[in-house]
Amino acid sequence: MPKIRLEKLVKRYGSLQVIHEIDLETDNNEFTVLVGPSGCGKSTTLRMIAGLETVSDGEIYIDDRPVSRLEPKERDIAMVFQDYALYPHMNVARNMSFALRLEKRPRKEIAQKVGEVAEMLGLEKFLDRKPAELSGGQRQRVAMGRALTRDASTFLFDEPLSNLDAKLRGQMRAELALMSQQVKKSMIYVTHDQVEAMTLGQRIVVMQDGHIRQQGTAEELFKRPNSRFVAGFIGSPPMNFLDGSLVQEGDSTRVIGDGFNLPLPPELAARANAHGSQDVVLGMRPSDLLPVGKHKDDALDLYVLVSEYIGAQSVLLTECGPNKISVEMKSSAPVALGETLKFAPAPDGMHLFDRETELAI
Amino acid sequence: MSRETIAETRTNPAFYALMAALVIMALGPIVMMLTTSLKLNVDITGSASSLLFMPTLQNYETVLCDVLWYAPEHVDYCDPTFGRALQNSLIIALISTALTLIIGTMAAYALVRFRFMGRGTISMSTLMMRMVPPAVLLVPVFGIWTFNFCFQDECLAGTYSGIILVYVAMNLPFVIWILQSFIVQVPVQLEEAARVDGAGPFQVFFLVVLPLIKPGLAAASIFTFRIAWNEFLLANALLDRNTRTVPVTIVNSLTEYDIDWGVIMATGSLLAIPPIIFTFVASKQIITGMTAGAVKG
Repeated sequence: MPKIRLEKLVKRYGSLQVIHEIDLETDNNEFTVLVGPSGCGKSTTLRMIAGLETVSDGEIYIDDRPVSRLEPKERDIAMVFQDYALYPHMNVARNMSFALRLEKRPRKEIAQKVGEVAEMLGLEKFLDRKPAELSGGQRQRVAMGRALTRDASTFLFDEPLSNLDAKLRGQMRAELALMSQQVKKSMIYVTHDQVEAMTLGQRIVVMQDGHIRQQGTAEELFKRPNSRFVAGFIGSPPMNFLDGSLVQEGDSTRVIGDGFNLPLPPELAARANAHGSQDVVLGMRPSDLLPVGKHKDDALDLYVLVSEYIGAQSVLLTECGPNKISVEMKSSAPVALGETLKFAPAPDGMHLFDRETELAI
Repeated sequence: MSRETIAETRTNPAFYALMAALVIMALGPIVMMLTTSLKLNVDITGSASSLLFMPTLQNYETVLCDVLWYAPEHVDYCDPTFGRALQNSLIIALISTALTLIIGTMAAYALVRFRFMGRGTISMSTLMMRMVPPAVLLVPVFGIWTFNFCFQDECLAGTYSGIILVYVAMNLPFVIWILQSFIVQVPVQLEEAARVDGAGPFQVFFLVVLPLIKPGLAAASIFTFRIAWNEFLLANALLDRNTRTVPVTIVNSLTEYDIDWGVIMATGSLLAIPPIIFTFVASKQIITGMTAGAVKG
């Protein structure tokens, strides 16, 4: 049974439409991540699911129950906010038990529930402290604990890690992943960070300008992006894009542009020929470019401009004709600048996009 | 620390002179009031107005004779005015402060959080009301209270309700204005979090917003209490013998036969005590950083 279903969901502010009829279905107990650049409508979508924004059109179903006209408290949800939103006048225990106290649960049950969650999040020592006396990571944990103490069916996260520093963010991300395995609940998580999306999400939904561009698992999005936008958004460092055109030479199809001339693998060539248009964009991930010998044909001559040596691998910024191309390569030592190296794309490492529609071919 | 920096931190003697002058200006009248209240009339009116006198509590005994458990020897006739006026003042000041705060917080919250037509205009005009001097209100209010708002021969003039109504109306704009600035500082996310946690609109208001604007409530209550306590002009015109407040009774003891300065000063000193206590209690609530730790940044 689909847990959360959005049906032609629309949000308008006056005449400005920010969410354009999006449809989404998540499975039971699935960790769904909404990801996209800022202003793409992911937070608005989440807030509509939470009931903090009105729905202009369309419907939200939680467990097949239409909820878009209900108050937040009637939707059986718990939410973690981007900037924690802890009640500053209550200590940690009271913050976490706020919802339970509103429901007038027995005191014993509240104490037990708070104890359980505090233990799970390592907050036992801080139960008597006020939020002001906690560090950022601890506050974030309390915010999560507040959501966890409730037996809500759905958890919503609005960029919960974006206020933490890089190291803490990585640590909390791992904890979140662990928590989502322990707590069998449906979760919807909003982030602009594609690394968070890839590592946490069972289903990743990429949004842009109020539209859903693609959804699927991390692997699907990484290996088979359906548009230039998704291809460029998912993956770090981002995919390289080169303008080129398709040329038929004998029985092989080649993509030719300024500074490069590469043969297409047969499967991609067949699709490209079926597509019709000659003007394409070639996309190659930095990790899909493999170094080859000096005399290999069908390779790219890349002039190394910058070399970012980070231990086991180097990220090179190189020049190929007028294009800048980044390459990720395994390296035991820094690569010298000013060298020209040869790289060839891995067989399944080439992506073609229509230059006009920007959709994958 | 080097020599230069020490020299820099030394303060100009003129600064201390100025401070001393300000302190004398501020404390002088109060010291005067306290010393006079402890003097006999002979000392007060005598030409040797010095600080050397035999302090006595006689004036206080005269004022409080009605409340005291013993009958002071020197009082021939015990005037019950002060006891009654003190009670009136307390009732009027406390009720009008409470009403002003209740109505003011809700109005301020609505003005800050709800979007409705004319919100900006209302917000501004509440403050404009404050610009009208009370003396201007006096004549029309007196007329209306005496002739128009009557229920079965009982008019608003001369009643607690009449003066409380005026005080609430007078203080409300300022209280709304102060509280608005406090409510604006309460992050909206807190209210959203509370809504998701299952709080209704009133629970959000009472359990989340109200505790966070305590400093504002304290400041506003000090302000309204002191106005209601000290106000003379409207109280003098609108209250009758039985409902008069302390400031009015003080002036009434200036008669054509006798001006008993000692008693006036003693009453004044006693009058000052409740607002001082109230201010000390309320200002304990004024601590900064109430919302610290709520949200990041």
